[in-house]
Amino acid sequence: MAISLRDLSVDYSLQQGTAHALRGVSLDIKKGEMLGLVGESGSGKSTVAFALMGLLANNARVTLGTATIDGKNFDLTKRNATAALRGRGMAMIFQDPMLSLNPVFTIGTQLGEVLRRRAPGSDRKTRVAMAEDALAKVKLSNPARRMNQYPHELSGGMRQRVVIAMALLSEPALLIADEPTTALDVTVEAQIMREIIGLRDRVGCAVLLITHSLGLVTEYCDAISVLYAGEKLESGTVKAVQRQPGHPYTRMLFDCEVPIDRERHADASQNSFTVISGDLPDPRRRPPGCIFNGRCDVSFAECAVVNPGDYPVGDDAGHSARCLRLATP
Amino acid sequence: MTRARRIAAFIASRLASVVLTIAGATLLLFLMVRLVPGDFASVMLGPRATPELRAQIIHDMGLDRGMLAQLWLFASHAATGNFGEDVVSHRPILDIVLEVIPNTLALAFSALALALLVGIPIGVIAALKPGSWLDSGLALLSISFITTPTLVVSVILFLIFAIGLHWLPVAGAGAPGDSVDRLRHLILPSVALALGWVGYISRLIRAALLDTLAELHVRTLRAYGVSEYRIVGLYALKLALVPVVSILGIGLGDLIGSSVVVEIIFARSGIGSLIFNSIAQRNYPVVQACVVFIVAFYIVANLVVDMINALLDPRIAAGRG
Repeated sequence: MAISLRDLSVDYSLQQGTAHALRGVSLDIKKGEMLGLVGESGSGKSTVAFALMGLLANNARVTLGTATIDGKNFDLTKRNATAALRGRGMAMIFQDPMLSLNPVFTIGTQLGEVLRRRAPGSDRKTRVAMAEDALAKVKLSNPARRMNQYPHELSGGMRQRVVIAMALLSEPALLIADEPTTALDVTVEAQIMREIIGLRDRVGCAVLLITHSLGLVTEYCDAISVLYAGEKLESGTVKAVQRQPGHPYTRMLFDCEVPIDRERHADASQNSFTVISGDLPDPRRRPPGCIFNGRCDVSFAECAVVNPGDYPVGDDAGHSARCLRLATP
Repeated sequence: MTRARRIAAFIASRLASVVLTIAGATLLLFLMVRLVPGDFASVMLGPRATPELRAQIIHDMGLDRGMLAQLWLFASHAATGNFGEDVVSHRPILDIVLEVIPNTLALAFSALALALLVGIPIGVIAALKPGSWLDSGLALLSISFITTPTLVVSVILFLIFAIGLHWLPVAGAGAPGDSVDRLRHLILPSVALALGWVGYISRLIRAALLDTLAELHVRTLRAYGVSEYRIVGLYALKLALVPVVSILGIGLGDLIGSSVVVEIIFARSGIGSLIFNSIAQRNYPVVQACVVFIVAFYIVANLVVDMINALLDPRIAAGRG
């Protein structure tokens, strides 16, 4: 069962006015696949996650958007629209494992809490056995002992495994991983990604991986969506987008990645890095035309006037980008 | 180190500091009493005492010895529980103090229990819907509890429930041995003593809960569908109790201080009324013994508070809290 998100728009009311954090973002994730949602800080990637979960801050409002999860439709403009899915149809892995577990309750208690909801009516013994089993499945050493430990006795990577075990126990249809490795050592990154893939294959769920790292997306994801200033600029399979980026922004993002085999100067300051100059546009006043116009290196006169729609890129059916250059036949 | 050993080491280190603190406080008290003008002999014998008699008494009490010798005499005797004999009643001072301490402890702990039982739920309810009319109403209630002096509360309760309605006894601590009667005598004084603390605790719990609810681990629980009532009343509350319990430790001194007022108004025997009467009689040896006990109580109470906090937050026992 595929997951789909349609026309998600979210506003934040700030003191300086209303910021439009997301404008009409649509995503599709196939069951058993992982979609990488990439974008720079402030592009609204985490807002997508929290809007789906119904955990947006109090000053945020979903103005438009529907979601289909686990075969059911949800009107995201209603507060707590997806509340019934939390811990059942949807699970989430967070950015900072050091802060995402309660410091004064044992790992066992916190895993048990997930099971209270997921397996109601089960007795304590069954829950302890299920939780221990989940810890073993995410390859946390010595699961029986971990159950009685507190978060501060575990490392960041171990704590992230605990959160993955929580997600595993809730057997979701959609797993959202919000920058799950950003706060961790690079050496732990691959292990954590492996556990997330393992969870996906075990449960057969769809995964939304939110990240700023294209490397992570090209390595682990099936599909990619590129978010810029609250708008989705491109989406498609990782293979197709990597081979032929449809949007200049996507191309520039790929160029920013430093290939491992690039020639290096002895003097590090002589090394050239590709950067995308300029800043994100003001989220309160959207400039007319293409949202990326101000920073684009191949824009033309019309780009400042016409807001492009989604145009297909190449032969790949699901590959589209929001760039006027694709409109000209 | 295992957790049990870590907790044992934590408790041992706290116990060592308790002994040192009691010793330090006793020394300070000893010096302070000697700075007060007037000497014990003239208090005991009155203004028309003969110089010979005065000299005799001063010698008998050891007041003619050096300061250090006096300190040693007091400390070594106090350490074995010997605080001397009361010059008024000619009974051992220790007996007098031990006789009234249970009354004061009963009052202090019932007030504390009452304050926690009422204050925590009020704080939790206020934190469930911050900014609501219920929250504002409870804030008003709590603040009026805090700002009304114990003296005024005592008198009002006394006038309404003891004198006006005759529901509860007027004065005293109840007949010894009759626990129902003693309990009935305990109600009004402990309510009077607890009321301000109900206000304090509810405000503290509310503030600590709202801080805790903004932390990221609360978002995790919400993401996994844990009900808001369970989050506030269990997961956040346990964390929010830590600062509140710490402040309670400090506040226990104030509780004993207020119990002086309450004990006098309700004519209860207790350490508060004993100190009050002894000061009026310039019976400094008794005051001195009472204060040693209050200091010991305060320090032991704070030790208990630290242990409770170590139980609430395992990071404290691990030395990271």
